[in-house]
Amino acid sequence: MREIIIDGSEGEGGGQVLRTSLSLSAITGKPVRIEDVRGQRKKPGLFRQHLTAFKAAAEICDAQMEGAELGSSEIAFHAGKIKGGDYEFSIGSAGATNLVAQTLLPILSHADSDSTVRITGGTHNQWAPTFDFLDQAFLPQFRKMGGRAALELESYGFYPAGGGAIRMSVKPMSETHALSLEDRGERLKESAVAIVANLKRDIANRELKTLLKSMNLKPEQGEIIHADGPGPGNAISLFLEHEHVTEVFIGLGEHGVRAEAVAKKVAEQAQKYLPAKDSLGSLHTAVGEHLADQLLLPMSLFDGGVFTTTDITQHTRTNMDIIKMFLDVEFKMTQLGRKCWKVEVTKQAGDNGT
Amino acid sequence: MKKNVAIGFLGINLDNGKGVARWERWRPSVDLCRQDDFLIHRFELLSDPKHMAIAQQIKDDIALVSPDTEVVINEMELHNPWDLEEVYEALFDFASLYRFNTDDEDYLLHITTGTHVAQICLFLLNEARYLPGKILQLSPPRKRDKGGPGKVSVIDLDLSKYDRLSERFETERESDTSFLKSGIPTRNAAFNAMIDEIEQVAIRTTNPVLISGPTGAGKSLLARRIFELKKRRHQIEGDFVSVNCATLRGDTAMSSLFGHKRGAYAGAIKDRAGLLRTAHKGLIFMDEIEALGLDEQAMILSALEEQKFYPVGGDQEVRSEFQLIAGTTADLTELVARGIFREDLLARIDMWSYTLPGLKDRREDIEPNLEFELSKFSSSNNRKMTLNKEARQAYLKYALSADAKWAANFRDLAASVTRLCTFADGSRIQLESVEREIERLKKGWRLKSSDPAEETLLTVMTQEELSEVDPFDRPSLANSINVCRQSDNLSDAGRKLFAVSREKRKTQNDSDRLKKYLAKYNLSWADI
Repeated sequence: MREIIIDGSEGEGGGQVLRTSLSLSAITGKPVRIEDVRGQRKKPGLFRQHLTAFKAAAEICDAQMEGAELGSSEIAFHAGKIKGGDYEFSIGSAGATNLVAQTLLPILSHADSDSTVRITGGTHNQWAPTFDFLDQAFLPQFRKMGGRAALELESYGFYPAGGGAIRMSVKPMSETHALSLEDRGERLKESAVAIVANLKRDIANRELKTLLKSMNLKPEQGEIIHADGPGPGNAISLFLEHEHVTEVFIGLGEHGVRAEAVAKKVAEQAQKYLPAKDSLGSLHTAVGEHLADQLLLPMSLFDGGVFTTTDITQHTRTNMDIIKMFLDVEFKMTQLGRKCWKVEVTKQAGDNGT
Repeated sequence: MKKNVAIGFLGINLDNGKGVARWERWRPSVDLCRQDDFLIHRFELLSDPKHMAIAQQIKDDIALVSPDTEVVINEMELHNPWDLEEVYEALFDFASLYRFNTDDEDYLLHITTGTHVAQICLFLLNEARYLPGKILQLSPPRKRDKGGPGKVSVIDLDLSKYDRLSERFETERESDTSFLKSGIPTRNAAFNAMIDEIEQVAIRTTNPVLISGPTGAGKSLLARRIFELKKRRHQIEGDFVSVNCATLRGDTAMSSLFGHKRGAYAGAIKDRAGLLRTAHKGLIFMDEIEALGLDEQAMILSALEEQKFYPVGGDQEVRSEFQLIAGTTADLTELVARGIFREDLLARIDMWSYTLPGLKDRREDIEPNLEFELSKFSSSNNRKMTLNKEARQAYLKYALSADAKWAANFRDLAASVTRLCTFADGSRIQLESVEREIERLKKGWRLKSSDPAEETLLTVMTQEELSEVDPFDRPSLANSINVCRQSDNLSDAGRKLFAVSREKRKTQNDSDRLKKYLAKYNLSWADI
């Protein structure tokens, strides 16, 4: 079969191009070659965390790899049969466990048998979806489309010490559905969770106080989790649970950044999302930009569908471009309001994605 | 792909950190292993037994941040990590026992941690190739990347791998070889290749060098240039001492070379340092080394090996670290066979042996040397000397012809140019001057004919006249002339020459017999 050639420097030009391509190539069986890997980045080529994802994907589908080396600027991936089973990957602190999980999840959903994957490393990393996001925001939507997977957090891992672990169990999908997520529905619950590992409780207190106040929440809606683990770490998450979707906004504590500032940023994201609706005021935008990105791949693989999102980012567009190179799908974007875009994913007849 | 193996000291300050707060510090040994784009497959961590707790902590932390890195703790006991001898020795032992596998592994010597002495020792052992690989340096994260692992730099000490530096070395090397050739752009490929090699030898060793070659080939000049090159490179402190061993015959040879103490023998009225002592930390050029007596040869050999010797009449050894360049016109191997040159001395001095070809064998270098001699004369006389076109053509035509013997090689050329310039009217050398000079050269070489009899005869007659003399008669005529020259007058010479037959004669008119004999060849006492 001819290789699909992808220019890794196009569009957003980062690691997402690699991960999306690997998932799609493994599932469709279409070999892929990525040239100029991460061409848009200051230091291009494969980093350690990308190499881990690359090798992990190869392992679960018996793929032949080319360029599986640090710093590679060109790679090729020729997948074999996807093998369900028990896997363990160890990626250290530089890479996020969730990025690997996200790459493997759709692949293992196409296996013949059940799988469990244990991944050790960071669970709450900057520039990556955190465990809470994946678990609370993404997985429920994935299940609605027919995916059968669960995530479990064994232990927290923060940058730089890492040392966290997540466990993902995946069953082969049976019945798939189109996603229908035009409106978020009634708000059911709001809550905030501040996590501190090996740091003073005071940090969590201050974060919670700031966040609750900004969001007009009551003290009992906040919770502090003391995580143990080898290193220090802190994260604060805001869960906005609606009838059809739960959105999660996250802030990660950083050395030299005040707890109040971390919490403020989370509140700002939420305040952008909360009032978003179409210009008629008849529906409330369902998802934020990050969740929108993540929905595209399973929708394209399964039965398509529709959702509304606050923004169409460069990330989202790049993702669509990559998906279209493997699958016969159409994306239709209609702006319904200032912070409301409707995205329709239509699968062409006869293409079930595999 | 080859595996990266880091070798580095545990940083007892930089790598140390208590509790979880250690994660907020930049710890080079840990942070080296959590680079996004660089993987250490194995880390050979060197640690004193008393810092094992820190080493173990580092090992555990690396396992967390970089599961792909294997950490091996090597115990290295150091009482004083600032003591160069101790650290060097410890690392040297490590290097000799370590099983390097350079086919599959790249070694990186991590110098971010450890004392400065440790850095220096890692550098020295790397430079000396006992520790293969490259130097690895981690710099701390910049302010805006706080908490980051910092930046890795791999430093290759093989300077030839750096383009800009290689270019500079090449220029430097060219300037060195050109320096050895006194700036003369010589064209003879063999000669140029030899000078390239001598340049390397000159700047890299202090071993003796043997330069052979015919007289005037430039041995002495080359020796001086080698000395000056070393001086320019700060490789030598002392002076240049030059001696022709042919002048050292006799009783004073020993004391000239090795010095003497006052009163060592009659006439030794004060201490004399001697040439070898004068050349201490410098360079001595001993030309015509074959002319040294066997005793002096033995002393020289011992002085070379021991770097000390006894002056004549002295009972205290003196030290001299001199470098020797020996010059010879002879075939020393043959002299060894004949028993007049010591085999062990030859073995000691011919490690770097070069033969300077004569001018005849470097015809293409005549023109550049002609230019050189002209400009040398010009600058020392403040007169820009030039040859006009025909003059130059005529001179070169003869100089390059087989007729030109160049018996004393470059010395002949230099003398010839000096004469040309001296006789020139003004600064331009004309054809007539060249023609006269060619005659002078021809005559000069005839005199230096290889047949001593011929040589003698040519002092009293022209080549044409000589050609009239039977070869049978030439030796006796030459001998007669020599005897005449050593005699007070014609009768004195006659007595010696006819010493046997005169006893049997009645009349003893030896002077008349000799006069008539000479007259046969149109010669008189006055001619001789």
